[in-house]
Amino acid sequence: MGGTQKKKFERGSATNYITRNRARKKLQLSLPDFRRLCILKGIYPHEPKHKKKVNKGSTAPRTFYLLKDIRFLLHEPIVAKFREYKIFVRKLRKAYGKTEWSAVERLKENKPTYKLDHIIKERYPSFIDALRDIDDALCMCFLFSTFARTGKCHVQTIQLCRRLTVEWMNYVIASRSLRKVFVSIKGMYYQAEVMGQLITWLVPYQFSHDHPTDVDYRVMATFTELYTTLLGFVNFRLYHSLNLVYPPKSELKGENEDEYAMDSESYPEVSFYLFVSHTEQPKRPDLEKVEAREKEQMQLETQKKIFEGLKFFLNREVPRESLAFVIRSFGGEVSWDRSVCIGSTYEATDETITHQIVDRPNVDKSYINRYYIQPQWVYDCVNAKVLLPVEDYFVGVTLPPHLSPFVEEKDGDYVPPEKLKIMALQRGEKPGADLPEDDDDDEEEENDDDDDDEEDEEENEDDEDEAEEKNLKEMEKQKSQGKSLQVKVTPGKMKMENPVRLEQEEKAEEKRLAIMMMKKKEKYLYDKIMFGKKRKIREANKLAAKRKAFDDTEKAKKKKTKN
Amino acid sequence: NSSSITFNKTLLKHAAVSQPGFLGLKSNVKSSELVSSRRKRVNKNKKKNWNRHSDIHDVEDFLEDIRHQERTTGGLLSEKPDDSLFFLDVEAEPVKAEKGKRRVQRPLRIDLILQHDSMVPAPKNVTAYQQPNAKKLRRIAQRAEQLAAKGVLPRRQRHLLSRRPAEKTVKKAEANNNPDRDFYAMWGEEKVTDSADPWYLQQTGKKLVQRPEKLNQKPSVLPAVEVIAPGGSYNPDFLSHQALLQEAHDVEVQKQKQEDKLQRQLAFRKEDRATEVQTIISAVAACLYEDEDEAAAPNEDEADSALGAIAVAEKKTERQRKKEKAEKMKTQQQQASRRQTERQQQLFQLRSIKSSIKQQELQTKARQMKRKARQEAQKALPRRLGKLKYAQDLEVQLSDELAASLRQLKPEGSVLKDRFKSLQKRNLIEPRERAKFKRRLKVKYVEKRAFRQIT
Repeated sequence: MGGTQKKKFERGSATNYITRNRARKKLQLSLPDFRRLCILKGIYPHEPKHKKKVNKGSTAPRTFYLLKDIRFLLHEPIVAKFREYKIFVRKLRKAYGKTEWSAVERLKENKPTYKLDHIIKERYPSFIDALRDIDDALCMCFLFSTFARTGKCHVQTIQLCRRLTVEWMNYVIASRSLRKVFVSIKGMYYQAEVMGQLITWLVPYQFSHDHPTDVDYRVMATFTELYTTLLGFVNFRLYHSLNLVYPPKSELKGENEDEYAMDSESYPEVSFYLFVSHTEQPKRPDLEKVEAREKEQMQLETQKKIFEGLKFFLNREVPRESLAFVIRSFGGEVSWDRSVCIGSTYEATDETITHQIVDRPNVDKSYINRYYIQPQWVYDCVNAKVLLPVEDYFVGVTLPPHLSPFVEEKDGDYVPPEKLKIMALQRGEKPGADLPEDDDDDEEEENDDDDDDEEDEEENEDDEDEAEEKNLKEMEKQKSQGKSLQVKVTPGKMKMENPVRLEQEEKAEEKRLAIMMMKKKEKYLYDKIMFGKKRKIREANKLAAKRKAFDDTEKAKKKKTKN
Repeated sequence: NSSSITFNKTLLKHAAVSQPGFLGLKSNVKSSELVSSRRKRVNKNKKKNWNRHSDIHDVEDFLEDIRHQERTTGGLLSEKPDDSLFFLDVEAEPVKAEKGKRRVQRPLRIDLILQHDSMVPAPKNVTAYQQPNAKKLRRIAQRAEQLAAKGVLPRRQRHLLSRRPAEKTVKKAEANNNPDRDFYAMWGEEKVTDSADPWYLQQTGKKLVQRPEKLNQKPSVLPAVEVIAPGGSYNPDFLSHQALLQEAHDVEVQKQKQEDKLQRQLAFRKEDRATEVQTIISAVAACLYEDEDEAAAPNEDEADSALGAIAVAEKKTERQRKKEKAEKMKTQQQQASRRQTERQQQLFQLRSIKSSIKQQELQTKARQMKRKARQEAQKALPRRLGKLKYAQDLEVQLSDELAASLRQLKPEGSVLKDRFKSLQKRNLIEPRERAKFKRRLKVKYVEKRAFRQIT
């Protein structure tokens, strides 16, 4: 027997992975620096398939990195900058300790800094890659721009985030790419379509500031550092794709600098006048001669302009930035009170205002030619892509529920009645044209829209059949009682045969025959499929019944309170 | 008067010294001279002896004295006026500074002392004023002056003036998070090739290392931003809100179940605790069976030991061995024949064998599909990357917490925490907890002296 025996853990997966501490020592960095480097370069820990092999027999939970990744990290020039920074801190502390103030000044002037441009270029070699990852970047930047400038994290970062988010919003407004908005308890979700990519981001509310203690701020700050750089470059490219000047300059900045001392006001989102270097219209690609495509485009174009021609005024208590952003990206004009923020174009007394957005229980002074509505109308219109009737959103009215546009219902699923109504509006039908079943609604001023407005035609037919049956029963009853029926022989009515209905019936007959002629095995499969489908429908019906019960109880409650 | 006194003194000295046998203070006088001896006769007419043996020390002394006076006091004392030597000492009056008139300051005493009052002027050091090449330098300076008057500058100045001024561009390194930082076109519209030659970059060691392909894969299939369920709207639809509440309820129920399970496992079982009746019965039974056991037990022991002894002692006989062998052969033959018949019969069982094989295949396929599905589901789950496990909490507002209007909305959960959890969920960072404060040395609690007296 020649040669030595194979030793354990010397080859295979055990040598491909390296623990975090070993990696840190190999790079000669401290732990926070190592973490920062990994985040910046996009190196993530991996969970090996066979932990015991990699961990040399033990099952203790450890963080593992791939050895090749760490070796790749060794070539990074930023590592040298981290070490320089460490030395800089040490020298600065010494100078402070010895109270050598001139040395402190000199050191601070020559503070070592690093740039992340080459990392961005390496991680996102093409623009589309960068666009795919921009969701996360946007969320982080929006989040950081809402932080208070106390100095816990660098104030410069917060300012930079604010600037970048404002630029992004301006781009979305200019390119009319906003598609969906969802107002949730966590924050506001927006979705825009940029260069064919669907980008979703979350904006927190301005007034929520309970900073949790179990979040690692250093990690978040490092992510933000990377993402701000990425977002800046993406913004630059996007602006150039629209032939706009980057960075955009604000016309109002010069005038009102005396009035508004706070620096935060210098980047309000809506006061940017985008200077255009060439023609404003972005170059449209040549439309293919496919009718459906053309139709889609036309539809899209109309949907992008739902607020065109409308003039809005925002009251003080509504979320100004969000509403202004949404309204402007669909072509509307918007303004607010002068004392709230710079950039208001017209006052509340302007006669041409068509809609005023109010969130109070009542309005004191009201103009005749404008609607006073709650802010949910704007969001619902955007989601429905059509102007919804304003009556449901008047001041003091119980609002219809705000549905999520991110939910896509399939065939058999339960569709809430509000959504059905909206779909009907989209199709162009007007609600209330069908038979109203509840007579109480005529009396009540409240817009308790009935659920049965949009029921199918079959319902009506069933009603007719039921009515006939009822009549027959009554007649039988009368006969049994011995009364003479008031039946006369009347000329017969011709029953009009609906050709569409006939066709449908024929098709149904054919289907039934085909099912009867199937083989046992095939029938078995078919039954299984139908069972699954019917189950969905049954569930949807159950939910509808539940909803109806709830609505009835609500109506009963309202009646009680009224009486 | 003093001069005459000094003159007399020197005369006296001279007289004293010239006496033979005079012992002066200087001790290095030759002993030969002490002894008074007849003077040797010297011829004073010879030139040689004019310097050696002429005695002019009296004249010398006189002249020395005069020179001394001139050196120190600035002239012969006898020729000096009385005022410079003597002054009348009258009662000193306090000197008053007259107002208005600017009094001439009296010269300082030190200045008076240091005044130059000897008649002999200080000698001039000629070498101190000597300059090598003085004439040449003077001529050069004159020439330069003439040229300057004409307007011609020397060469060196011309070069200085023609030199370009140094560009003082101190490039301050810009921090990455500077709010006014500039961005440029990173993904160029046109195909921009690298400005430098790749060979040059490689040779000089400036070539950037290529990023490994595996790093471009995303660590998780989950999307970056997961939109909350429709029940999370600020004004939700009734059923979707109920669905969300149901989910949260399920999570809580699970937690509660886990706790209950733990409690159950740790609880004290009722069966283990003996009731009163049981204890009495067991006690009585113990008494009853005690006597029997005592009798039975020793017998058994003996029997066992006896059997054991017999078993060891006997060896297998030849007959027994043969028997065993025969039996073995028989069983082997039987088994062989059985196997043979089985194989033959299997031919007729082909159909059932086929069906059983098919069943097994179906089962394995089903298991494979299940495993694949489970793997796919696993990909969406967060990986275990560190010590802590990933924990997520649902954000949901209860029915009575729902806001009536957007103004009254109270946001639930913080986006910061949500983003942090999302990063953990997507395997970008490992789940982390705030570092606890650990004390290296234990804290000792001691009562204050005042309290110790009381208690």
